Formats: sequence, structure tokens, C-alpha cells
Amino acid sequence: MTGDTGWLLGVGTLALASATWAWAGVAGSKHDFAHRDWAGGDTCGACHSPHHEEPPAAAPLWDPQADLNRRFGTSLVGGAQAGAGTLICLRCHDGTIAKDAVSGQVRARFVHTASPGLFGAGHGTSDHPVGIVYPEGKEGFHPLNVVLAKGTVTLPDGRVECTSCHDPHDTSGAPYMLVTSNARSALCLTCHNK
Amino acid sequence: MTRRWHMLLALGVLSGLPPARADESVVNSRHDLSASGPGPIRAVEETEVCIFCHAPHNAAPQTPLWNRENPRTHYRIYESSTTDARIDQPSGPSKMCLSCHDGSMALGNVLSRRQSEPIVMTARTIPPGTADLTNDLSDDHPIGFRYDRALSNADAQLRPPELISRELPLGAHGELHCTTCHDPHNNELGNFLRISDEMSAICITCHDMNGWLHDAHATSGKRTPGRAVDPLAPLKYASMRDNGCLTCHQIHSARRPERLQRFATDEETCLRCHSGAVASFNIAADIGKRSGHQMLSRSGIHDPAEDPFVMRRHVECVDCHNPHAAASSVLGAVRGTFGQTVKGPNLHVSGVTLTGRQIEDSQFLYEICFKCHADGASRRRIETPRQATQTNVRLEFQPSNPSFHPVAAPRRNADVVSLIAPLKVGSVITCTDCHNSDNARSAGGSGADGPHGSLFEPLLVRNYETADFTVETPEAYSLCYGCHRRESILGNESFPLHQRHIVDLRAPCSVCHDAHGIYRGQGNAVNHGSLINFDLSVVLPADSPTGRRIEYQDTGRLSGSCTLTCHGFTHINFPYVGSPAGKSAAGAWQRRIGTR
Repeated sequence: MTGDTGWLLGVGTLALASATWAWAGVAGSKHDFAHRDWAGGDTCGACHSPHHEEPPAAAPLWDPQADLNRRFGTSLVGGAQAGAGTLICLRCHDGTIAKDAVSGQVRARFVHTASPGLFGAGHGTSDHPVGIVYPEGKEGFHPLNVVLAKGTVTLPDGRVECTSCHDPHDTSGAPYMLVTSNARSALCLTCHNK
Repeated sequence: MTRRWHMLLALGVLSGLPPARADESVVNSRHDLSASGPGPIRAVEETEVCIFCHAPHNAAPQTPLWNRENPRTHYRIYESSTTDARIDQPSGPSKMCLSCHDGSMALGNVLSRRQSEPIVMTARTIPPGTADLTNDLSDDHPIGFRYDRALSNADAQLRPPELISRELPLGAHGELHCTTCHDPHNNELGNFLRISDEMSAICITCHDMNGWLHDAHATSGKRTPGRAVDPLAPLKYASMRDNGCLTCHQIHSARRPERLQRFATDEETCLRCHSGAVASFNIAADIGKRSGHQMLSRSGIHDPAEDPFVMRRHVECVDCHNPHAAASSVLGAVRGTFGQTVKGPNLHVSGVTLTGRQIEDSQFLYEICFKCHADGASRRRIETPRQATQTNVRLEFQPSNPSFHPVAAPRRNADVVSLIAPLKVGSVITCTDCHNSDNARSAGGSGADGPHGSLFEPLLVRNYETADFTVETPEAYSLCYGCHRRESILGNESFPLHQRHIVDLRAPCSVCHDAHGIYRGQGNAVNHGSLINFDLSVVLPADSPTGRRIEYQDTGRLSGSCTLTCHGFTHINFPYVGSPAGKSAAGAWQRRIGTR
């Protein structure tokens, strides 16, 4: 199965396809854009920009074109504040920005032309909230130290971000680029005490 | 970690690891529909647990990341004559539950998957059974109503919502949902309950039934062998106390929808236990006797909200008993004392007072009887033809009447000299002193107290002959002799001609006396003292100087006169005077029966 086919099928059918992949890591994963014409053979360039360390030059060296302060079509949960681990993902995955706006070269192509703002990341909407502070102490959630002790889910600055559950480099090889397999809903139950 | 490794792990889970004991997690509970879930209904391949209800992306725009369509079913909703709640179609989280539990939607249809590729399940929809509530929610505990202060103010038997909502969460607008009682993620207590149903704990969190804490049904340790009480849906716990509400009520799919009763009729509900199976006394043995409250033949009419003045004629167990407040104790005031309030089995039952007012809580037993035997249009209207006929029992017992048996108030009639201790002039009796099962415990029998059924008409505790020319024996008027000493009556201690009338001329007590009383609106104290109200099928008018008439006249202590024709004798102002020698007359009577 080629990366192009997987891209078109979308995230929903990845589970079935994943079994045929024998290795993990960004190379060869769907985040490996090296062979796209707009990427110029650079696997990492879609997200990383080693030589343009303008603000916010926080590790891990985000592409300065990524507008980490941009606003979204759908509001976040009240009080939520998306961090880098969310914003860099939404650059492509909210479907409202050109995915090929890399290092100054802009071509007007969109990830989801039909449904911009797909990942609204709001409360009461269709997606898991991001940018929220982990609800430590709330009924139905494991204590923060228990969550972190599992070594799978990360909570940058104590917040839930896309990268809490997803590993854009696909290190684990789990479906949907999850940080670990969600068999028996293990990933969900890392935080949710249900 | 490779993908293959995960596949192997998943296969291992699929192929043989025993499911862990259901604990507080949804994993391995019956809501774990994944391929390794413990129940017969589960996915064929899907290994995720949450996904059947929740999805992190592409879920319905409905908290909590709901992964299913809402059912479009129109439900038949619960109806009851006694509820104050405004029950609507289910909404919010209740609809989420019903997206599986109404049986209409495929279990594997989730929003995160294309409709053409649902999760493949061992059963397409929830199979018929206790978990399938169907689109008929009229036999299930109501949901979709606001449990607010207005409701708890209207229904005194519901606790205020703020007292319950910590334990049992209500919806955003105070609505009661499935999730008020059930926590879909935690099956530790069974049936995903938030509070155990043992000893009715979850029910009484909201329902505050008058008298329940002392109710026999809430406190009895009697064994309730599951199938013996209900062969179709065995009781969950081993004793009456532990089953509590569940003994009679089914919270879902109740066989009698209104009030969620376990059995089709009130009587079946009661008699499942009160027929010798569980309860101490066998009431069924008294039903069907010659005279009685024929509960079985007029079943299904009673409604707790009925108006006793216009209700259809019927009698059912719950007309006289409140199963939520019936204490087994019959201890109370000493027999005969004034102010005997209702005893345990009749606590918290509605009634009609002596003045004809409807009340929720009868204080006196007669108030319960008055519901049917007084002003109600449905009352029994058969009565011996008398000078003054009256079928409204409430009027017959008015304390202002010329004479009455002391049921509603004591009577100070010094002429009554025959009473057997502890009864004395000024004592008060109850309806059940005369109207009771012939085998009643209080009358020396071995059965239950109360007017359930008797060999003696009309539902009398002992025999009471009313036919003319009855030969006097202790048995013939056993009812009267229970309180009025036979030796005194036949010894002429009060009316000096008792023996002459009862023994020699074989006139029954009822020819002259009207047992309940004579309503003041129909007679005065002169003509109707001493319960005199002649039976017109025996007693005929006499031609007197003042015209044809039947008349008794009270002329003082133990004295009076009669104008009437009876057994061929005609009395015109025929006088009698009781004598202080009554006691010696009694002695003479005793010598006489001694020589028989």
C-alpha cells in the first residue's frame, strides 16, 4: 500500500492497513513527505526547520511559518490554551491552512477542502479537547503521577495536546500514530478511570 | 515496539486469556463489548472497549464524544395516576443508552466508522431480554422528567432533589436520566447501579414512603426463596428485608406497568407471599369464605388516586392496607379504651372521617371502613327493612345519634349492664370487634386478624342468627354474647323481658335491635334508645288510639313501653319496668338452665 492511497482513505481505515507495515518511525510513515513534490525530498521539513530559528524557536525547532498563535474556526474548551504540541498538528489537520506553506514556499493546497476546521478541538464538539490542563483530582480521572508513570501519554506543561496521544513520528507503530496501542482501550484508560 | 508485536498481543487477548472478574472498570464489565468482553454480545474482532460509545475524533457533537447516532424511536412513556412528574420523551444521556437498549439500532454502528463497515458483532442488535427495553417505556421507571423542588413539593413521598443529587446525578436541567441510577462504566454493584438495591437503598434515596422504615416489608427477615415467590423473575436476595421494594416492584419491564408491579394484579402481588408461602398468616385461606371482602373477584379496579365518593364498587388488599407502611405489630391500646388508633397493618391508609372528610392517613380503623361503607355511591345498600333504614354506616355511628354501638365515640348508657370485662360502660370498640375473620387471632383463632373472610354473614367474627323463630343457644347469638354476658341478657338484668322474647318466643336480637345505630336525622332518643329499630319483616304496626303505629318509648332507667304487633301478640303502650332485682332474676335464669 502506498502512502498516497492511505492518505486518500483517511485516518478511519488505517487500522486495517497498519498490519502490513513492518517497521515504525517517521521514515515511510504517512508523515514522511520526502517524496512529495512540494517537500523537495525533505522528510522533516514539513514540520521542522533547523536553520530558521526565529521565534518561537522553542524545541523541537518548529517551522517558523507555523503560526503558533493562530485562531481556530472552532473555539477550544473554555480556558484551554493550545500548546506547540497541538498547534503544529493543526497547521495541517484543521484543514484551513496550506499544508505546503513550508519555509516560505506557499502553494494553496488544503488538507480538507470539503470540511475546513475538521478538528475543532472544542468541548461539546466532535473531538477530544486539547489545550486543557489535565483535570487532576476530578472524578473519573487517574492521578497525574499515575498517568505519567505509564510512560506513554505525555502532558506538555500539564496540558492535553495532540501529542499526548499521537506520536507524529509514529515510533510505536500503533494505528493512528498513537503513542501506544489502544487495544482494550488501554490508551484511553491511561487517563480515564472508567 | 512493532505493529506485529501488537497484533500478537491482540491475538493473545483474543484467544485465551480469561476475562478478569468484573471490577470497577468498564473493561471486562458487561459493557465491554470488545472481542474479549465477558458477555455473549461482543465484537468479533474489535479490541477497543470505549469505541462502542465514545470516539476521540469524528464523534457526534454531543458530550461525551458520543460515537453513536441517537435513536429516532418514539417511545411509549410511563403513565400513572399518582405521579406528579411531567414525563417527556427521553433525551440526552438516556437516548444514548437507548441507542442500544431499545433494540432498534445495530450495536456495531458507530460514527467513527463508515456505515458500510460497522463493527462486526456477535449479535446485530441487543437481543430480546431484560436489557432490551423496547420502544415501550411505560413498564420502566420513568425518565425524562424534571426532578425539581416543584416535584418534591407536590409529592411528599419524594425527597428534595438537592438531597439526592450528590449520590444520584441529575441532568443539566434536573432531569432524571438512565444515568441517574446507572453508571455505565461501573458494574461493581450489578446492573451498573450507582447505589446497591439491597434493602432498597437506591430506591429510598429518592422515594421517602411514609412509614417504610417500620414497614414489615422493609424489616422482615423472612426468607423469600426466589422462584417460590416469582417463578418468572426470581427475587434477587434471600430475605424480604433485603429484597425490599423489589419484592413487589420491577424497575424495568414490569408485568403491570402502572406503578411497576411485578405481578399482574394487586392481589397476586400480595398473595404470592400472604398465602402461607412467606408471611406468617395465610390470608388466601380467608378469601373465598362464605362472607368476605372478595378481593379476587373485584381485582384491578382500585386506584390510589380514586375518590371514594364516586369510585366503582370494588375491594382490594390495598384499599385497607398500605404495603409501604404496614407494620406487623398489632400491639396498641388495650381493647375497649377510647382513642384506639389504627394498628400496624392498617397504618398510613386513606379514609373518610366521622364528619365525611377525605383524609390521607386514617387515625381510626372505622375511617378506613367509611371509604366504602359510608357516603360512597358504591356502598352496599342491602339492609334489613326497619323503621329507620340507613346504609350509610358513617351516619349510623354518629356520636350525636339517639343510640349507637360505641365505635366512633364512647356511649354512657347505664342501662347496659351485661358487658364482659374489660369492656364497661364508656368503652369503645372497633369495627373488627364484630366484623372479622371467623378464625381471627384476636378472637381466639389461629388466622390473621381482620375482615378478610368469614363463615358467618355479614363478615362476622362469630355466628349471629337473624332469622325469626331461631332457637336460642350460646352459638345462635355468639356474636352478641362475646361482649354481652348471656346470663345477664337472659337473666333479664336490663330489659326484664329479654328471656321471654329470646328464649320463649324465639325472637332474634336483630328483630328489636339495629346493631350499628340509629341516625339522629331518622329518629330520636325516646323512640330509638338502646339501639331499638324494629325489623319490619317481623314486627308489624298495632292499632292504637293514636293510629296504626310501631313505637318504642324509653320511659327511664331500664323502663319503656312498646306499641306493635309481633308473633301474633299486640302491644299497645305495653309498659315494662326493669327491677333492681335483676341480679336475682339472673340467678333464677342460671338455676333454670342448670336444670335443663
